[in-house]
Formats: sequence, structure tokens, C-alpha cells
Amino acid sequence: MALFVDILLSGVAQGMVFAAIALGLGLVSRATGIVNFAQGAMGMFTTFIAFSLLSRGVGYWPAFVAALAAGAVLGAAVERTLIRPLQGKPALNPVIVTIGLLVVLEGVAGSIWGNVARGFPAAFSQRGLVIGRTRVAFSHFDVFLVCAVVVLVVAIVALFRWTALGLRMRAAAFSPEVSRLLGVRVGRLFTLAWALACAAGSLAGLLVAPLSSFSPYYMDLYLVYGFTAAVLGGLLSPVGALVGGLVTGIAIALVGGYVGPDLQPIAALAMLLLVLMVRPQGLFGTAGVRRV
Amino acid sequence: MLHVEGLSVRYGPVRALDDVSFEARPGKITTVLGANGAGKTTLLRTLSGLVRNHRGTASFDGQRITGRAPESIARLGVSHVPEGRGVIAELTVDENLRLGTFVRVRRGERRAVVDEIYERFPQLRDKRHRSASTLSGGERQMLVIGRALACRPRLLLLDEPSLGLSPIVTAQLMATLRELTTGDGLGAVLVEQNARSALSVADWAIVLNLGRVVVADRPARFAADADLRRHYLGF
Amino acid sequence: MTASPTRPGAEAAPSGARKRVALRPLARRLRLPSQPLVRHSILFVLGAGLFYVLTVNVGAYSDYQIGEIAVYAIVLGGLSVLTGLNGQFSLGHGAFMIIGAYTLALLQLHTHVGLVEELVIAAVIAAAAGAVVGVPAARLSPPYLAGVTLMLALGLPQLSAQYGSVFGGEQGLTTTPPPAPGTLSPERWLAWIQLFCALVVLVLLANLVRSRFGRAFRAVRDDEVAAAVSGIHVARTKVLAFTVSAGCAGLGGALLVLSTGVVNVGEFPLSLSIGLLAAMVFGGAGSLVGVWWGAVALVYMPTWSTSLSQHLSLGTSAAAYLSDSFFGVVLIIAMLVSPAGVQGGIRRIGQHLWRTVAGPAFEPVPNDPSLAAPDGTPSEVAGVEAATVRMDQETKERSRP
Ligand SMILES: Nc1ncnc2c1ncn2[C@@H]1O[C@H](COP(=O)(O)OP(=O)(O)O)[C@@H](O)[C@H]1O
Ligand SMILES: [Mg+2]
Repeated sequence: MALFVDILLSGVAQGMVFAAIALGLGLVSRATGIVNFAQGAMGMFTTFIAFSLLSRGVGYWPAFVAALAAGAVLGAAVERTLIRPLQGKPALNPVIVTIGLLVVLEGVAGSIWGNVARGFPAAFSQRGLVIGRTRVAFSHFDVFLVCAVVVLVVAIVALFRWTALGLRMRAAAFSPEVSRLLGVRVGRLFTLAWALACAAGSLAGLLVAPLSSFSPYYMDLYLVYGFTAAVLGGLLSPVGALVGGLVTGIAIALVGGYVGPDLQPIAALAMLLLVLMVRPQGLFGTAGVRRV
Repeated sequence: MLHVEGLSVRYGPVRALDDVSFEARPGKITTVLGANGAGKTTLLRTLSGLVRNHRGTASFDGQRITGRAPESIARLGVSHVPEGRGVIAELTVDENLRLGTFVRVRRGERRAVVDEIYERFPQLRDKRHRSASTLSGGERQMLVIGRALACRPRLLLLDEPSLGLSPIVTAQLMATLRELTTGDGLGAVLVEQNARSALSVADWAIVLNLGRVVVADRPARFAADADLRRHYLGF
Repeated sequence: MTASPTRPGAEAAPSGARKRVALRPLARRLRLPSQPLVRHSILFVLGAGLFYVLTVNVGAYSDYQIGEIAVYAIVLGGLSVLTGLNGQFSLGHGAFMIIGAYTLALLQLHTHVGLVEELVIAAVIAAAAGAVVGVPAARLSPPYLAGVTLMLALGLPQLSAQYGSVFGGEQGLTTTPPPAPGTLSPERWLAWIQLFCALVVLVLLANLVRSRFGRAFRAVRDDEVAAAVSGIHVARTKVLAFTVSAGCAGLGGALLVLSTGVVNVGEFPLSLSIGLLAAMVFGGAGSLVGVWWGAVALVYMPTWSTSLSQHLSLGTSAAAYLSDSFFGVVLIIAMLVSPAGVQGGIRRIGQHLWRTVAGPAFEPVPNDPSLAAPDGTPSEVAGVEAATVRMDQETKERSRP
């Protein structure tokens, strides 16, 4: 029973990270109809930037904020230079470009920082909390992680629901041409969506770096789990991303705890295929929203 | 207010517009008639910046608009209601209207502008929080015209607004349009296949055929000249 | 297609025209026969001769590299058919290489079947896995297909750790290369085997391209709805393409680990799968000649980047990353400027030379109006999907009388 609870708790923590990635994937997909497979690598890259700052003696929080900002800048730059020129080309092209970017970013990070697994500091203690008289697999850092992602999701929901900027972003995503006729600067909003998405990716990168062996490839698996979560959540709503992340996280944790950690990626693949075949619109989407 | 001078547009080898010149005046309705494929939609899309022209110019209030981006033309006060209406179905009625107010209305006045639209089209007020996808055809037309008006435009570009509407609703629509365009205020370019109702409200009419202006005259001329009607308008 | 003396080009340059007239019969005789089987067999023999000369003039290490090139040519050939001919793609072909590699190692460990049987079984098992993946893949649009195959490339290798008793865990399994006859060095013998396999596979693929199946592949790629209307079973065709492609990857994987002597998943990282895709695009999607350029790039890029990083005095670890980055850059540039790869470039230069020698009557590639975008600008057809045109053009050329 204690094992089960621990597995569940670690699944929740991981799931929140998947949710942050799924949220970023959804933001980009909704705005520009592209799945950004480089999102994990972009998060990795900006986390390495934070790592460099930390090793130069910069404090944790300034480095944290710098990484988020770097993520936003990187996202905007990628949208402007690599994605926008592909407008109107077949859907395959931007997908392949993001894959190419993934490899390039990992290569560049590898040649700058080397491919050695390092430690990345956590903002808070990673020792499990004591509840009653038992120590559970949920630390202060995990609490921070969950709160950070929840704040992110709430902020994005609020942005879309209650602000003029969010309304414009939704309009631009749903109907770019009509939006332009109403004077909405659609191109800028797409850039903003990429910036936000990649900042979310950076947040994910910063949050999981202390939990994994921190090397240029440490986000690869998180990206595919995040992708699974995004498809599960239907790719469109931030809340869908959150739920998709939690479901994926808990499912992955259960497979890892009871079957074997090495089967986690294949289990996620099976789950993804199941969703794509049975409910391509995701758990919450309405039928016909999306062609798989 | 709108001067179009020798405008030509090509889609690859297809010449969609060929040396089109005309003018639209404040407070006046200029209707653009013509058969399917004559180039009417292309003309409006070029004026609002969605399509690049390859020769000629269009200017609005003395500013050249050919070559500008659609969003910047919209900011000058040109409101294009596209063919097939352009309701954003995923947003609510109220959100659609608010979207219109973002560029030419000051922050504090936006609510009032939207309320004005509700005054004009009370049916929309009743459905303000419903998804725009639930509206009927006539209501959708009200919504897009309301949204275009919420932009506080100087010139309306309307692409076949009567398409799919009943004769009664079409007549109401034309009456509304006439009422909006008076004095030296709002001007309109009205593209129609329904020539009869367009001519009933227009101040000036041009007929496009295969991308060229073949007739430019007062609507009364069409009433008088049966040959002309039969030849170009089919009634 | 007879040469007409009133061609405008001939009139414009009379002296050149005379030269062309003289050269024309020669040029025509130089053209390969159009019968696919004969043509491909001739190419096979020419290729075999070329490689024989190549291998007898190089050392053992180069033998190894030439064999590796042949292996990648097989894998890239399969991938090229999948993408260039059928319009699908895969980020997970490394996984099918793993399946072929482990199948071979397990057969060597537990059975006494001969090399041919080992290779055939490895290819068949990988093809079967390809069929399993191909069924869902056939229904997915590019972003989801990318995600699924990416997960395959990441997830499958981890099975070897999960079932360490079968697959040997991190160390993996060992393989034994076939014994060389006579005084031949084992490396050279193996390189010959690998080259022989490559030539056989490429000839088979070239024939497939020309067959009923090849036509169905292309029809599905160009327009699924139209293909379905004309009686092609779209899903089955796509699964078949995936199966063939995965079989090639499996055979390649099996042949590759004969050289290395060990199989472990460390040899097949995600970057290999992506590198395969990039190398295929680099050579020119859909070109079975271009696969050799891609294969050369895959094999030599690490060496070149090592010397480059030494030259730039970067750290030793930078070398591996440089070559990975190279393939990423290839993918990005190919998508942005949508060329037809190296082979496309060579073809264009070749066409140019051919025209100057043989005159406009021999212009090999007619302008195909069906390739043009609706508004008449061919540039709208982009990236891989434009590159896919290559194989069609090759086919058309050959089928001309
Ligand atoms: N995007 C396009 N690409 C190519 N040709 C087009 C495009 N849009 C319109 N056309 C062609 O341009 C001509 C004018 O079309 P259009 O402006 O839609 O006419 P109308 O609105 O008067 O029916 C037609 O021949 C049409 O086929
Ligand atoms: Mg029209």
C-alpha cells in the first residue's frame, strides 16, 4: 500500500512536468498547427544556460528566470526564422524542421557542455516529506514543482479567457485570415505563442533537471511523454494538457513501479497508439476536431 | 476616399483582374456586379491586402494601400466582410464583436461600441454568450456586419452578403446598409450576384466580366436599358 | 521522341547544332536499355565491378567502411522508397535495424543456420515488425507519425535492458562474421557480402518501383482519395511500403553487426534514426542512386567532424556532436529550400551537360504539368514532397522508347 501511494505521488510529480510540456506543444499546435518536437531540446538548452549561470555563481532564482526568458527568446527566434518561411508548405516540412532543430540543439549543447551526466540543483529539499510517521516519496521540491505547473496552467487559462490579448490569440489561431481583416497582427501573436510555449518548455526543463541525469539528451523521453499527454488531453485546452499529463504520469509511474522502468517508453507508445486509434480527439475533445 | 487605378491581379497564368479602375465615395454605396468567376472576390481581397496585385494601385484617403499588409489596411479603417461571412465559430457572439473593437476604438469606449451594435441588432444581444456557431444564417450576417461596424470603419467591403439569405432578410440588410451610408460618412463597396437588390440601394454600379470593368454607370441606367441587363446581369 | 532539325535551339546555334547531330547517334547508343530488368542488371554488374576495384585497392579499415556504406545504402534505399515513393516517413528506422541485428545475433547464438538464412530471417522479422507499426502509421498525419516513430526509436532499445537475460543487457550479444574463403581477409570478404546484398536489394527495389506496387505507392502518395477511387487499397499499400522499408532496415542492421562483432543498443541511438532520415533527404528522397551519397555521408561524417574539430581545436567530445548537428542542419535546410538532395543536383548538372552534348531532343525530364501547384508555380510543391518527384522522373525517363 505504501508502495502504491509512493508510486502514485511520483506519478503526480512527473505528470505535472508532462503537463507543462503538453501545454507548450498545445500552444504551438493551436496557433500554427505544428507539433514542435524540438520543444524538449529547447528546454534542455535553456536549462544548460541556467547551469552555466549557476556555475558562475549566479543565484538559483536569477538563473531560473534567465532560463525562462531565454526559452521565450529562443521560441520567438525559431518561429521567425525557421517556421514562418514554411507557411503554406506541406505539413511534413515544419515537422521535419523541428526534428532537425532537436538534433542541432542537442549537438550544440553537447559540444559546449559535453555529454556527461551532471547534477542540477533543486530549489528545495528533495527528501521526502514526513506525513504522520511515514516518509512519503514527495518532497518539498515536488510541492514546488506541482505548484509551478499549476500556476502556469492557471495563468495560461486566465490569459486566454479573460484578456483581450488572449482573445486575439484565440481568434488568430482559429481564423487567421478573418483576424487579419480585423487588424489583428496575427504574425506577432504566433511569435508570442511560440515564445510562451518555449518558456513553458524551459520551465519543464528546469523542473526535471534535478530529477534526472542531466545531459543533452535528458529531455528526449520527457518530450515523448509530454507528446503522449498532449494527445491524450486533446492538444487544445490547457486543462486538457494538465489532465493528460497527470494520467500519463501516473500510468508511467505504475508501469515503472510494477513492471519495470525500461518498459515505460513502450508502454507510453502503446497508450499513445490506443488513444490515436480509439479517440483521436483526445479524452476531452469533441469528435471531428482534429484529423489524425 | 478609395481610388483604384489600373489594378491587375494574376494567379499564376490566370488573369483574375485586368486594368480595373474605379472610385468609392464617402456616404455612397458602390456595387460591383458580375457573374461567378468575374473577379469580384479577388477585387475585394486585393483591396484589403489579402492578395497581391501585380500592376496598378489602390489608395485610401490618399494613402497607397496596395502592397500593405491586411492588418495595416484594416487599421486605416477599411473593414472587409469576406465571402462566406467569416464568423469565428469557436468564439462567442460577444467575443466576435469585441474582436472588432481592438484596433480603432480606445480601451474605455470598447464596451459602449459593442453595446451600440446590440442596440442595432437586438437579436445578437440575446445570444451574446452563445457560441457563434449556433447562429442562423441571418444572425451570422448581422454578426459580421456588426463586427465590421465595431471596427469604426470608414469604408466597408462586403462580399456577397445576401448569399443564402431569404428575400425578406436580404431586403432588411440592404435597408440597413443604406441607412449606415449617408452624408459624408461611411462608404461601401458592395459585391453582389443578386444584382436586383444591390442596384436598388447603390449609388454607382460597375460590372466586371472576366476581370475587366465592362460597365460603370448609375443604377438607373440598368433599370432603363433592358439589353444591358440581359447581357451582363441575366434578368 | 525523334530529333527535329527545326528545334529553336538548333537554329539559334548552327555550329553547335552540327556538333550535336554528329554526337547524337553516339549519345543514343550510350543510353542504357529501357527494359528494367536488363537495365538494372547492367547497373548491378557495373556497380559490382566498381566496388571490386575499390575494395582491392584499400586497407582493412577502409574495407570496413565500404561495407558500412553498403549497409546504409540498403537501409536508406528502404527509407527512400517509403518517403520518396509512398509519401510516408519514419524517425524510427534505427529500431528496425535493432530488430534485424538482434535477430541475427540470437540466431547465431542459439541455432546453426547458415548466413543466408540468418539474413533472410532477420529481414523478415524486421519486416513483420514494420507491418505491425505500419498499420497504425498508415492512418496518421505527419505530426503524429513523427511522434509515434520517435517513441519507437526511443522505446525499443530499452527492451534490451528489461529482458537482459535474452538480449544480454548493456553489453549486448556477440556476433561472428562469416569465415573468409582462401587467403581473403575476413574484412574484405564481409565487405563483398555487404556490397553484394546492397546491390541485390537496390535492384529489387528499383524493380519494385517500376512494378504494379510501385505505381500504387505513387498513386497513394500523390492523392489518397483519387487512389482509393481508382481501386487501390490505400491502407494496405501504405502498410506494404512500411513493411518493405522496415525489412531493408532489418537486413541492414543484421549486416552491420556482422562487422562490429557485437550487438548492443548503444549502437543505435535516436540520433542514428534521425541521421538516417537526414541522409536520405541529403541523397535525395526517392533516388536509389542518391542513397549512396547519403550512406557515404553517414559513414564519413563522424571522421570528417573529428578532423574538423581537431582543426578548430574543439574538445574531442565535440566531434560526435558536430556530425549529429550536420544532419540536423541538412534536414532544416532541405525543408526550407526544398531541393532534391545531392542526387537531384547532380541530375540537374547532368541534364545540362546532356543537353549541350546531345541537343534538346534528349532533354530527359519533360515538364510534368501535374507537378505544378494549382496556381502554376511549381515552387509551391515543397520539401520532401517535391523531392519525391525524383523517382517518378527516373521512371519516366526509363520508360521512354
Ligand atoms: N486562389 C486562387 N488561385 C487561382 N485562381 C483563383 C484563385 N481565386 C480565384 N481564382 C480565379 O480567379 C478568377 C476570379 O475569381 P473570383 O475573384 O473568386 O470571382 P468571383 O468572386 O467574381 O466569383 C476565377 O477564374 C477563379 O477561378
Ligand atoms: Mg466571389
